[in-house]
Amino acid sequence: MNTFVVSNRVLAVVIAAFSVGYLVLVSGLPDFVSVNVPVQPATVPRWLGVGLLLLAVVLFFTTDAESEAEAPAEAPAEVPGSKPTDQASPLLGRTGRPWAEVAIFLIAIAAYVALFEPLGFVLATAGFLAGMVWYLGYHRHWVTGVVSVSVPLVLYLIMTVGLDVVLPAGPLPF
Amino acid sequence: METLDHVLYGFGVALQPENLLFVLIGVLVGTIIGILPGLGPMSAIALMIPIAFGMDPTPAIIMLAGVYYGAIFGGSTSSILLNAPGVAGTVATSFDGYPMARNGEAGKALAIAAISSFVGGTIGIVGLMLIAPGLSGIAVSFGPAEYFALMVLGLTAVVTLAGKNVTKGLIAAVFGVIVALVGIDGQTATLRFTFGLSELYEGIEFLIVALGLFALAEVFVMIARRGAGSEFRRVTSLRLSRKEVTAIAPPTLRGSVLGFFVGVLPGAGATVASFLSYSMEKRIARDGDTFGKGNIKGVAAPESANNAACVGSFVPLLTLGVPGSGTTAILLGALLVLNVQPGPLMLSDRPEVFWGVVASMYIGTLVLLLLNLPLIPLFAKVLKTPRAMLIPLVVVFCVVGVYGLSFSTFDLWLLLGFGVIGFAMRANGFPAAPMILGLILGGLMERSLRQALQISGGDWTVFATKPIPAALLALAVLSLLPAVLATVRRRRGKDVVELVEQRRG
Repeated sequence: MNTFVVSNRVLAVVIAAFSVGYLVLVSGLPDFVSVNVPVQPATVPRWLGVGLLLLAVVLFFTTDAESEAEAPAEAPAEVPGSKPTDQASPLLGRTGRPWAEVAIFLIAIAAYVALFEPLGFVLATAGFLAGMVWYLGYHRHWVTGVVSVSVPLVLYLIMTVGLDVVLPAGPLPF
Repeated sequence: METLDHVLYGFGVALQPENLLFVLIGVLVGTIIGILPGLGPMSAIALMIPIAFGMDPTPAIIMLAGVYYGAIFGGSTSSILLNAPGVAGTVATSFDGYPMARNGEAGKALAIAAISSFVGGTIGIVGLMLIAPGLSGIAVSFGPAEYFALMVLGLTAVVTLAGKNVTKGLIAAVFGVIVALVGIDGQTATLRFTFGLSELYEGIEFLIVALGLFALAEVFVMIARRGAGSEFRRVTSLRLSRKEVTAIAPPTLRGSVLGFFVGVLPGAGATVASFLSYSMEKRIARDGDTFGKGNIKGVAAPESANNAACVGSFVPLLTLGVPGSGTTAILLGALLVLNVQPGPLMLSDRPEVFWGVVASMYIGTLVLLLLNLPLIPLFAKVLKTPRAMLIPLVVVFCVVGVYGLSFSTFDLWLLLGFGVIGFAMRANGFPAAPMILGLILGGLMERSLRQALQISGGDWTVFATKPIPAALLALAVLSLLPAVLATVRRRRGKDVVELVEQRRG
């Protein structure tokens, strides 16, 4: 997780930039004039924008202890004299770099979302499940196969028949 | 006597076969999701909301409440067996629970957790029944100014207790309100921050944010940590000796009462309650030095407190309509979608919902005990679900939940976006609970502000001159003070250290 920690100054600059952009948008909001209203559509957003800007300034000058982010939970301390009752699960993924793993995972979900309607729920989900489970390093491929076919089918049935929620069918005939 | 009538009425509602079934489903699903490492009650409730949408309000909230305490209990299972608390509220349980498991007493630790959870939950429910009607009686007289002030207090309280850095908590809360204001302005019909996208006209559905910030972000965290976790402990005998039962009885009772009152306070929830109870027991116990090495009292104290607090946090939600924690905020969001407005009028307008929920909590905690004790070995198997399988499945459940609500891929992209934001927040120490609370309260806050000013004729001093709003707002400012002072002090301390180092250099 340490790879993803950004210094407070950088965070503050990003947040300040966001709040300035937000305030620009707020200034474009029209006032409501047909009836006299004490709180205009822009009133609360303007406070929020100014407040966020002030908070960003405070954050810029805040130095916090490392413990702020969730660093310690990462490596569980080895307990001397203890033996795992089950073999420790192998690390997920293939590249060995957290950045790359998160990026690949993000791209996979994006592809899943992009193909959700064209391919239909069942095909897109089966593809996503099989691909990701395989990529993350699960070895029993027949289990992967069964899960990636049965889960989308069962979910599709529950949603369309049981809950009357129409999921995209894609090229499949049902 | 009146309360008794109400309770009987509530049992009449809760014992209907349909509702009974949903208590069972909720508790079971909550336990299973809670056991999964990383997924806590917020993710559990968010994942179940799409199913609740199609249901009647009473069974829906009964089920979601079941998911809530089921998830808290499930979290203690993974705390004890894996030393990987799925929920912040069960972190204190792992202090002694995991050492017990290491000593070969995993079963005993789980049994203590189940029993003390049951006691904590039951005492909490009694408290809820006694306090709620009176509190909502007072709250009926609340006007918009009071509500606005109350919501500000709720937000600041969650901010001060959710993370170590108040600035980051406040930023998260403000960002939540900013997201809440996207869409058509309810009073003036002005389009705000929609960027011409018709998908944003009705605002951003809170479920998308909740699933993104909690469930999806959690999955990203697992990926970033590459699934590194702790080792798994086998479940052993669940049996307790009579001596052990007498040993845990006082801490359990104290923890339950303490936990309930902490839970009622806005902001403080299961986490604060469990830590307080744990440290209190450690201080007063004669064998306090064995805490942390597998003392059974160290499991009983936090477990009774977190369950009692869980129930206690329903008090502000059901009587004031203002959630005091991230989890109850998600529940409030679910209730609003189900067309139930929790608040002082709920007791009179929708008694079946209120008393049904209270009675179903009794049944739920009982089910939790009866179902979970024998099923513990089975639940432990859930912990063995390989993460490589679990992670893609959670993504699929999030996607189905969001798509089933809006039928638009636009919302799926939003879900992914909030997942990334949630992950970045987690990695950098921004608490997510204030953001979700800000999101849910944002619209309500603006509305009460407007109503208050409409009534006062645009006079902003109402918030300072009316006693209740003034007191609540003062409390909100005061609640932020200690944290601000601590930051200043830390800064000064650091400066001194730097000075000393410079001189040395």
